Amino acid sequence: MKITDEVRISDNGFIFNSKTGDSFNVNPTGLELTKLIAQGYDFDTIKNIFLQKYDLDDLTFEKDFYEFCALIKYHQITSQENPLDFK
Amino acid sequence: MEKIKYIKPVISKINAGMPSKFGLPVKQKVISKIDGITVSALIEEYGSPLFVFSEKTIRGVFDEAKRAFETRYPKVQFAWSYKTNYLDAVCSIYHDEGSWAEVVSGFEFEKALSNGVNGSQILFNGPDKSKADLIMAIENNACIHIDHFDELYLLIETSRKLEKKARVAIRVNLDAGVYPIWDRFGFNYENGDAWNAINRIMLAENLELIGLHTHIGTYIMAQSAYAIAASKLANLYMAIHRKFDYWLKYIDLGGGFASKNTLKGAYMPGNETCPSFDEYAEAISNALISSEIPHENLPVLFLETGRALIDDAGYLLTTVVANKRLSGGRRSMVIDAGVNLLFTSFWYNLGVYPTKELGHAEETTIYGPLCMNIDVIRDAIVFPQVKTGEQLVIERVGAYNITQSMQFITYRPNVILIDNDGKTHLIRKKESLETFKNSEVNPKR
Repeated sequence: MKITDEVRISDNGFIFNSKTGDSFNVNPTGLELTKLIAQGYDFDTIKNIFLQKYDLDDLTFEKDFYEFCALIKYHQITSQENPLDFK
Repeated sequence: MEKIKYIKPVISKINAGMPSKFGLPVKQKVISKIDGITVSALIEEYGSPLFVFSEKTIRGVFDEAKRAFETRYPKVQFAWSYKTNYLDAVCSIYHDEGSWAEVVSGFEFEKALSNGVNGSQILFNGPDKSKADLIMAIENNACIHIDHFDELYLLIETSRKLEKKARVAIRVNLDAGVYPIWDRFGFNYENGDAWNAINRIMLAENLELIGLHTHIGTYIMAQSAYAIAASKLANLYMAIHRKFDYWLKYIDLGGGFASKNTLKGAYMPGNETCPSFDEYAEAISNALISSEIPHENLPVLFLETGRALIDDAGYLLTTVVANKRLSGGRRSMVIDAGVNLLFTSFWYNLGVYPTKELGHAEETTIYGPLCMNIDVIRDAIVFPQVKTGEQLVIERVGAYNITQSMQFITYRPNVILIDNDGKTHLIRKKESLETFKNSEVNPKR
């Protein structure tokens, strides 16, 4: 999963996608998650960061993480991978 | 190190130039208690989903309707519409408030009798009255509202055999400016069928014509339609007096008053657009009082309103089963109450509310738990993020959902009543396997 080159993320939670012309607001945890994804961290690393920092269990994080990833993929913030490429 | 409170990550698309049509963001309504009892306590004791009826609301709304009519018209009699909700506990409250019973089948007739209603205080409507039903109605001295000529002749024949007089009214269908006209029920006013039926009845030895009935439709949002209907029935009432020198006892304007629910496709919410009882009462009373009927011979005004009386008193408590994202990214939610319990969800945008203040709201589709694509409680509702297990309240479900609910896939839930003292009573038990075993027969092979 990779944030597309056309996407710009500001420190106050504003995201702009110059490819689609869409802009978005993210809340603080959403911003943190987006930045960690942009830095190329994998799921396990991001999970550990969140579990150490927040009052949170691993299953809740996993559910929320994948829901968030599905949404940013839908908004073309992450590049579209071939969903049928079962690697 | 103390951990920080976690908030679910959220992303919202910015839609420039697309403000809410009402200008300001909608404040999320929360229903945490019903008549002072917390939703969580009710679900803990009786399970989820759970239908809850409030006696306080039933009596309160009834008082409002009664006051609206009785302050404008000298003789008013309500008859509780059994088909709207025929739970014994609910019917008993209306009878206690002085309502007669309005029934549309032999089953409902029997139910009214078993609730202690005197047969002479039952209005028997409907197009399907069997010979046995008519015998029961005649024997109990009920007011039989004749729907068609075949029923009229069956009634003449039955009353002759019984050698008893039947007390009857006719159902009249008429053009009150509400379309389509419900002309499948009763005798038409404009083409003279109603007048023909009246003449036939007046000549029949064993029939006593005591009233005129109409029911112009359902969820009627124009009170003026009732004024037109009342005027036309008043014309018939006077025509009968002129020809037969005879005063009928009552005019029955039926039901059909809109509840405060919002119809699908409506621009404004129902509680802001539907006429109040006062507005209906003003239109009907004015039409009758200003007709040519002499004041001393004004008929009793019967009203069979059901939906507008009971809808507000019913709640369905439900629990979130799952949150899902649809393929297009749209948020959806599965709750444990489906359309089999909520027949009215097919025509209303039912109000669904959380039991506590929750965070970020997003347009959501709410599905029921059935394995059926049609099981949609709300197509699109701005709803906060909820976790599984969160309890929700669906309001204004008192009318038709109990009587039209369908057993499907699982058992129908408990129904409770919160009485005037805030005490809960189980008024219909949740179904069990025994419910079905008791009525099914498996042939031995």
